[in-house]
Amino acid sequence: MKKPNSAAKRKLPKKAAGPPAKVKIHAMPTGVQGLDEILGGGIPEFSFNIVAGTPGCGKTTMVHQIAFANGTPKKPALFFTVLGEPVLKMLRYQQQFSFFDESKVGKAVRFINLSDVAMDKDLNAVLEEIIREVTAANAGVVVVDSFRTLARKATSDVSSAEVQSFIHRLAQFLTSWEATTFLVGEYTEDEIRDNPLFTMVDGIFWLSQVSERNSVVRKLQIVKMRGQATVPGLHTVRIGAGGVQAFSRTLGLIDKQPHKARRRQLSTGVPELDKMLGGGIVEGDSLLVAGPSGTGKSALATQFIAEGLRRGEAGIMAIFEERPEGYTQRAGSFGLNLKAGEQKGKLEILYLRPLDLSVDETMEAILDAIKRVGAKRLVIDSLVGFEMALAPGFRADFRESLYRMIGALTGAGVTILSTVEVEDSFAALQFSHYAISFLTDDIIRLRYVEIDGQLRKVMVVIKMRGGNHSKDIREYVITDKGVVVIHPRRTDYDGLTTGIPTRTGPRKAQAEEAAPEPKA
Amino acid sequence: MSEAPPQIRNLAERLIAHETRGNKSSGTRTPAAFPVVEKLRPKLATLIGDAGFRALLSRALARAKAGVPSLRAVQVEADGALRGLAGLEAQADPREIAEGRVVLLAQLLGMLVAFIGEDLTLRLVREVWPKFSLNSLDVSRRQR
Repeated sequence: MKKPNSAAKRKLPKKAAGPPAKVKIHAMPTGVQGLDEILGGGIPEFSFNIVAGTPGCGKTTMVHQIAFANGTPKKPALFFTVLGEPVLKMLRYQQQFSFFDESKVGKAVRFINLSDVAMDKDLNAVLEEIIREVTAANAGVVVVDSFRTLARKATSDVSSAEVQSFIHRLAQFLTSWEATTFLVGEYTEDEIRDNPLFTMVDGIFWLSQVSERNSVVRKLQIVKMRGQATVPGLHTVRIGAGGVQAFSRTLGLIDKQPHKARRRQLSTGVPELDKMLGGGIVEGDSLLVAGPSGTGKSALATQFIAEGLRRGEAGIMAIFEERPEGYTQRAGSFGLNLKAGEQKGKLEILYLRPLDLSVDETMEAILDAIKRVGAKRLVIDSLVGFEMALAPGFRADFRESLYRMIGALTGAGVTILSTVEVEDSFAALQFSHYAISFLTDDIIRLRYVEIDGQLRKVMVVIKMRGGNHSKDIREYVITDKGVVVIHPRRTDYDGLTTGIPTRTGPRKAQAEEAAPEPKA
Repeated sequence: MSEAPPQIRNLAERLIAHETRGNKSSGTRTPAAFPVVEKLRPKLATLIGDAGFRALLSRALARAKAGVPSLRAVQVEADGALRGLAGLEAQADPREIAEGRVVLLAQLLGMLVAFIGEDLTLRLVREVWPKFSLNSLDVSRRQR
């Protein structure tokens, strides 16, 4: 055989470089808010999944949402009910959810009862019936609810090997038929190890209810999902009017772009404080304002937001202690019109105080609001109130979730001002009850001090990660202009940070003066 | 025992009339009331199973018997079929049988409306009788 010469070799058309293209696994939307993101884009098409968990976790509702989101008249979703919840009741209750579209029932979503076949006949008959219905309907989605009761009933009649064989044939048929399948069942965690079903399926959706003290919270874990990277860990799930909603642990913030290297400095709305901060808060910083009750943390937060609005920067105030009316009233007394910002869609005041909030859904509410108004400034007032609003079971996750949210939002250029209440000990200068340095770039501490027979207020910039800042301890008052820094640093006292300073200079004559803080 | 709302009774009467016309044209001599139920049976059994259909029809029959005593001759079999029709025809007045047909069907439809709502019930009826002219019953509005 003649070898091709080198010139001929050169003339050969170039083939595409690199390995052959891998099969593309199409991801189906779940119709469950937040779940697609947890799954890494959706449910892998033609996968064979189990939705498992204890009663009342939302399994049936979740698969209904998937069926209604994906069923079409040409490729309907078939919902096989087997010895589980009676269909009449299921339809009665599921139609209460907003995803339940009556116009799809019977065409795009079809309900087929297999209880009689399962009771009167054997697994082969059940399989034949499923094959017959799926083939006739050209189903795209298949749900079997409850698969657990079907398998349990079968196990009492035949050997476990036969049950496994049934599952294998069912999986083989449904995958070959290009159907994405969901087996629903009540299982316990121990069964994941022992039940071969969990080895055979492509995906395991594990739903549970976690109780702590008086609160109960639903959780979802994607224990397994072949061919797709999912978000690991336990995600909060809530069942509301729209059905099941999932809240990813990462809050959908993984892909947020980091902010630019050079950043502006934003005014706090308090000119003297801006000077203390070396020009203002660095854009994209997380600033913590710590101080005891009544020192003006919320006032400062209001001024920060109002200043942003004045400069055309949208803002969000997530408040946990005071009602929104209180905020707008206070702002009005400072001459700041928050209502106008709300009316223009530049400001949202989120009052987040219901019981048993999950940290993830609270943060989701904040993130949604930030997206809605295109916020550049965020106030969280206060971290203590935020933590208290959470169900006890979530408080352990609070700092971790807050860390993720603050990190991602500041990374995307949102500037955050959080307040935290601390008690003045008159012995030391605390910043917070919890370690906070990892949460914040900048810290401003407000505190009471006893001076000349009065309980006055001072502020100091403790830390500023982005640059240099004033080291001065400055006295301030709260007037009809809001927080106003009034005095240059005091050099005639020592120990201001303790709250009980000692005079070092000569005592000056004290004139009787009117209360300096008419609005305090 | 409560009667079915008038709109549902009207639907039952119309369905029976529709089915009777269909049967006449095909030359069948079977009385129409129970064939309507019979025609609904496979559709409902697919949805709720034979046992589910049997339970539902038994309840509808029990309610219907309160208004039409001659229906006591009728029972529901294990597969959901009705038994005792010959006895009913032998004993009862033809007008009472006709009334029994309407009342039983109206009770069955009324229970479906109560359980799964008007929309889904009418969808089921449309699937069985696609050419049957069917408008909203508006049961919930009129019941208030």
